[in-house]
Amino acid sequence: MKRPWVVLPGFLTICFLATSNAGGGQPLPESGVRTIPLTRSVRLPTIKLSQGQDLEDLSGNSALVVWPGATDEPPEGPNGFDVFDDGSFVIADPLPKRVDEFDGSGQLRRTWRPGFAPDSVTVLSSGLIVVREAATGQSHVFDREGHPHAGQEVSPPQPSATRLVNRTTATVARPGKQGTLEVHFERPGLVLLSLESLATDDAGNTYVALESTGGAAGEGIDVNKYVRKYSADGRLLSEVADIPLDYYVTPVDELRVHKGIVYQLYVASSEARINIWDMN
Amino acid sequence: MVARREVLVLCLCVTAVPLDHSQTSVIARLPLATRSEIMARARKLADHTWVVGASNLTAACARNYRSDWKPGQRVTGIPYRWGGIDGPEEFDRKLAKGLAAGSHERYGILSCATGIDCSGFVSYSWGLSSGHAYSTSNLRLIAGKPKDNWFTDLKAGDALNKAGSHVVLFTGYNPDGTINICEASGSAARVICHKTTWSRFKGYIPLRYKAIDE
Repeated sequence: MKRPWVVLPGFLTICFLATSNAGGGQPLPESGVRTIPLTRSVRLPTIKLSQGQDLEDLSGNSALVVWPGATDEPPEGPNGFDVFDDGSFVIADPLPKRVDEFDGSGQLRRTWRPGFAPDSVTVLSSGLIVVREAATGQSHVFDREGHPHAGQEVSPPQPSATRLVNRTTATVARPGKQGTLEVHFERPGLVLLSLESLATDDAGNTYVALESTGGAAGEGIDVNKYVRKYSADGRLLSEVADIPLDYYVTPVDELRVHKGIVYQLYVASSEARINIWDMN
Repeated sequence: MVARREVLVLCLCVTAVPLDHSQTSVIARLPLATRSEIMARARKLADHTWVVGASNLTAACARNYRSDWKPGQRVTGIPYRWGGIDGPEEFDRKLAKGLAAGSHERYGILSCATGIDCSGFVSYSWGLSSGHAYSTSNLRLIAGKPKDNWFTDLKAGDALNKAGSHVVLFTGYNPDGTINICEASGSAARVICHKTTWSRFKGYIPLRYKAIDE
C-alpha cells in the first residue's frame, strides 16, 4: 500500500491522488454468508474514580470502578472477562482489586477479592477460574466463590496457531483430524491484517477474529474487526462485522465465544457493557 | 463483479514552509541510536528485577496513595510512575532510599516515588534519558510518521503514539499478523513486552525517531 503523496527536498511536493469507486472500504459480504447483527447488550454498572479519591472509599461499592485517566495516562478499569455456562459473566475489576460476577441481565451476583489487581479471567471447563495478576502476569486458580485452589493447573487453554499467508489469506491449525482451515478475505479496498483463533465448539465449528484495514493514508491507524464462524468442513457460515473498537478502557480479554455466542467486553466513557452476537 | 474506474490526479504543489530553525537544532542535538541499542534499552527496563521493600509501599508526599505491590514481592519490569523517566540504575538507587515504587496520575507527579511512564519509556529507549522533555503531545518534534506501509514495514524501535493519551514501542510483527510491543503500562503497573492486536491502536500514529542510525 503506497502513501498517496511523496515529499521531496526543496519544498516541492508532488501529490498523486488515486481514487476508486470500487467500494471505498465498505465490506461486501461473500454470497451466502449470514451477517449477524448485534443480538443484545448487557449494561454493567460503573463508577468513576476521581483524582485524590481513596480507592478504599469505593471498595464496598457494587459497581465496576473506572479511572478516567489523564494526559499521557489512558483510562483504566474492567479489562478482563469470561462467561459461565449459565450465561453470567465474571469480570476483572482491577482498581478495587476485585473479581465481580454479574448475571445475564447485568445484576451483581457476587464479588470477591483475589488479593491482587486482576486483569484477565478465564473460566475453565471444570468451572474453576484462572485469574491473572496484572502486576506480575502470574495466573492463580479460584473457584466461583473466590476460594483459591492451589496446585491446580494454572494455564488457560491456548488458542490454535494461526498464520497470515498473504493480505487475503490466512490459516488456522485446527485440533484433531480437522486439519488446517483456510480463511479467505477478499473485500474491495481492504486488506487482511491478522487472524486469531477464538474457539472450536462441540460440533467442530471454528470461530476466528480477523482484523482488516483500508490503508494507512489517513491521520491514524484504522482497523476493522470481524468474527467468523466456519463449519467443520471449512465452509464460512456467518460473520459479525459491527464490532465497536473505540474502547475507553483497553480490554485484555476482548472477545469470548461460548456455545456459539460471541461476547465483547466494551467499556466506553459513560458505560460498560457486554455486547452479544448469537451466531447459532 | 463491481466495475472499477480509477482516476489519477497529478497535482504539483510548491510549499513555502522551510524547516523551523529551532526544530533543526533540536534534531541536530538528538543522540544517534541504532535499532539494536533501542531494543536493548527497552528490554533492560522490561527485564529489570527488583524486590518490594516495606518502605517502597508508601509515599510520604501523597494522600491516599495505594501501592500496586505487596511486601517482599519479586517484580520484573520497572514500575509505572506517571511523569517518571528513571532507568534501572536510578530506579535501584531511589528504591534503596525508600521511595515509593511507582505511582499513577491520580496521586499527582510524586517526588517521593520512582519509576517510568509511557513517554518516558519510549524517550529512554531512544536514548533520551537525561530528562522527561517529551510527552505524547510533543514526541512529533523528534519523531516523524514513517512513509512506508504502517502494517508491513514498521521496524523494531518505532513507536505507536496517540497524542495526549499513550505511546508504546513497536518491536515486531507476528506470523499471524498481530504485533509485539513494549510499554510502560499503568494497568500492568510496570514496563512489559507482549503480543497484542491492531484494534488496540485504532487512532494511533506510528512514529520513527529522527536520529535513528539505520
